[in-house]
Amino acid sequence: MTTKVKHFHSLTSIKRERVLPVTGHVLVRRMQKVSPTDVIVVAPMAPEFNLLDISQGLNVSPQKADELLQREAGEELVKDDIIAGPVGVFKRVIRAPESGLIRIAGEGKVLFQINTPAYELKAGMDGTVTNIIPERGAIIETRGALIQGVWGNGKITYGVIQPVSNDLLQELVPEQLHIGFRGAIITGGFCRNPNVLEAASNIPIKGMILGSMSSALIPLAKKADYPIMVIDGFGNTPMNRTAESILSANKEKNIALNAQNYNPFQGNYPEVIISQNAKTEPEVPPETGSLKAGKKVIIVNGLLASKIGKIEEIIPQKKVLPSGLSTRVATVSFSGDELAEIPLTNLEIIQE
Amino acid sequence: MDMDTVQAKSALAVDIGTTITRTLLFDVVSGRYRLIGRGTAKTTAGSPKFDVTEGIWRSLEELQYFTGRKLLSEKEGVIIPSTPDNQGADFMVATMSAGNPISVVTVGLLDNVSLNNARKLAQTSYTKIIAEISLNDHRSATERINLLTKKRPDLIIITGGTNNGATQSLLSILESIGLSSFMLEESQKPHILFAGNEKLQDEVKAGLEKISKLHIAPNLQPMLGKTNFSAAQKELNEIYKEVRKQQTGGLRELLSWTDGSFNSTASALGRVTRFLSEKYEPDKGVMGVDIGSDSVILAAAFQGDETLRVYPNSGVGGGAAGVLERSSLEDIKRWLPIKVPDSTIKNYIYNKSAYPDSLPTEEDHLEIELAVAKQALRQAALDMIPSLEKHTSSSKILLPPLEPIIGAGRILIEAPKRYQSLSVLLDGLQPTGVTTLALDQNGILPGLGAISEINPLMTVQIIESNTFLNLGTIIAPIGIARPGTPILRVRLLREDGRTTTRDIKFGTLSVLPAEMGEKISLHLRPLHRFDVGMGGPGKSGKVNAVGGALGIIIDARGRPLQFHPDEEKNIQRNDIWRKTYQKYA
Repeated sequence: MTTKVKHFHSLTSIKRERVLPVTGHVLVRRMQKVSPTDVIVVAPMAPEFNLLDISQGLNVSPQKADELLQREAGEELVKDDIIAGPVGVFKRVIRAPESGLIRIAGEGKVLFQINTPAYELKAGMDGTVTNIIPERGAIIETRGALIQGVWGNGKITYGVIQPVSNDLLQELVPEQLHIGFRGAIITGGFCRNPNVLEAASNIPIKGMILGSMSSALIPLAKKADYPIMVIDGFGNTPMNRTAESILSANKEKNIALNAQNYNPFQGNYPEVIISQNAKTEPEVPPETGSLKAGKKVIIVNGLLASKIGKIEEIIPQKKVLPSGLSTRVATVSFSGDELAEIPLTNLEIIQE
Repeated sequence: MDMDTVQAKSALAVDIGTTITRTLLFDVVSGRYRLIGRGTAKTTAGSPKFDVTEGIWRSLEELQYFTGRKLLSEKEGVIIPSTPDNQGADFMVATMSAGNPISVVTVGLLDNVSLNNARKLAQTSYTKIIAEISLNDHRSATERINLLTKKRPDLIIITGGTNNGATQSLLSILESIGLSSFMLEESQKPHILFAGNEKLQDEVKAGLEKISKLHIAPNLQPMLGKTNFSAAQKELNEIYKEVRKQQTGGLRELLSWTDGSFNSTASALGRVTRFLSEKYEPDKGVMGVDIGSDSVILAAAFQGDETLRVYPNSGVGGGAAGVLERSSLEDIKRWLPIKVPDSTIKNYIYNKSAYPDSLPTEEDHLEIELAVAKQALRQAALDMIPSLEKHTSSSKILLPPLEPIIGAGRILIEAPKRYQSLSVLLDGLQPTGVTTLALDQNGILPGLGAISEINPLMTVQIIESNTFLNLGTIIAPIGIARPGTPILRVRLLREDGRTTTRDIKFGTLSVLPAEMGEKISLHLRPLHRFDVGMGGPGKSGKVNAVGGALGIIIDARGRPLQFHPDEEKNIQRNDIWRKTYQKYA
């Protein structure tokens, strides 16, 4: 059976496409080295429009209004430039409400596009631009550690990672947070106390990475003004050992935390990228793999969720689970010689 | 019907669901069309493959393996049409529900009339309404333009005005739509479906055809008191196909195999439900239900008059969190027959949404999923019931008489016990009177809907081939009484002449055992003016029923089902009902 490969890698090749949904101006060039805060493409995102009713404003017919137009489509104006008029005893005119561009003019109306600040798409990670996507963005590649999560609050940051304690398997509690974490991306095992999120905001921290989080905190976490990423899922389960060891090994290093919203259909996963100056060039990891004996796997649901083990055997016949469901299972071994039969549907491959 | 009159053709049907791609092979056996086999594989429409063909190919490989019939050729792909040595199939149809919902802006004149019609039309496909525009919103033209250019919807549905009604108000809104569409980049220009005042069609074409992807359908409400959705629904299905073609890798190749036949799963389910309604009891409707991973579909049809509703961000996989977010934890807990901590329920639901393919390993986890399924179905039914008002004589909060109700979806098909599938349908929908609950255990309904367009006889014969599993006959009297009051006297006459009489008390759930397929004559005599669907309150009657997997179920728990305010007592009551089923399951 084929399943998803969960990306927890201490060193791998990482390739990310950073593009805008609209046409913009790409500021980087091929083979350029970029850091997370470098702007790679700018575009007038969602421009503001103003439909000016010239005919009504000048109190004339649409045909007359067209005759009184002083500007035409495509002209750039600054605030208060005259668009149409003058007319009447009081020399009425229509002026540009802001600096901007006339997009359409005629039939007594003008569609005016107001100049808005350009949206800047940042690289979001250290790396090298390996390809340019004309007018949209670029492909950036790097080598380093990669950890994917299952939930993010849609925010992105870059900063130094600081574990709150030496044990990332433990619960993160408010008492552990202090001013020393100001501006840091903190990590913790799991969190179920809303005061933790509030205390972190007051310090303020730059980001938070959790093994798991109580689902009751989702509304609060969505509102947090810093990025929050959950690696394994919801509940009070400690962070999986592989992610924990990667984060511990990289403490005090700069990381890129992209806590984008999780959308597995689109392939959007929240993630941590820790770029490294590796001499070797590891392969780009596959996105899927076959479940078979010897594979390292993580359990994604059920009582053993977030535990990591090794497949000993794929049992050919279907088995009846305690829930009564009948399905194919694998015998998975864990540290301490513990064995469990896990449905194949509840396993994802870990390829470090 | 013998083969002389049958158009001898074999068919392949593929349904691309959110998690599973299912393929089905139909062919003629002993002069009649039959389901030959089924293959399944993981859907590959999304990340990382972004190409539906791999999932289809794997599913067909499984189908090949199980049927022993060669369906794939390395050179040509799917073998269409069939060869003289019986390889491949004569034609292929495709249905799809996978993919993020299509973003829609609905536009109408008045909130409770035309905008409501636009919403209903949007609900017949996998859509998400991201904004609404009407005269009631008091937005200026500038605000409308900015709304549309910021939201960048996939589709704008415009309705409003009867055919002899207002034109100017709608034209003023159309101007904003035209200007915003003109300002968007080519790749972002929305599809526009105009289904409003037909007198405006020429002006709409002149103004919008060159600057958008314009589709015109007959007016949803040509005159006051009359609505007509079928043509617009068909057009919406075409738009669905166009949008998915742009978004989904491999769809063009699939369309080359199906000769262009492609429907949304919901649209195909609606069609087959309509088809069935013309075949079954004319005085009752037919309902098709699909509880998917990311959506719930309800399709009801009365003598060919179809009502279809799609509820995205619902279901028991990726949509489970949506069910919780749209209701409350209490709404889900009220279905549980066991005590589970609140945090466990919530965390499980969110984890299931994150890993929709995963299966519940523990009993309490399965019970949570069944409770989510019931709540998802309840939400959907409550939303749909007002649209079925014209078919209801007794109540505006209950479903009209239906026969049969056919359920589909992984949670129903794979439930370990048949009573679990039955109780999801029974509790979620709460049908009234006498009905049959059936299970589409092979997931063939959407395929049959798509096939009915090409070969209706194939659809008829496959439906007649006992392909649906009869879960049980339901008798659900309506009325109010104190719990424990006898409300119905049932006399059963079996084929072998045995007769049993039972008095049914209000507030109870009873199972009358019957062999699968056993023909039973039931005489129903309601007491205290309860209505058992025999023509009005207190009216008696005779029903010929057929035993299903659970026999005959008399649901005297009341409609709508009431819950005990005390959580412990509610759990106890749910457990009693569960044990009632378990005795016979």
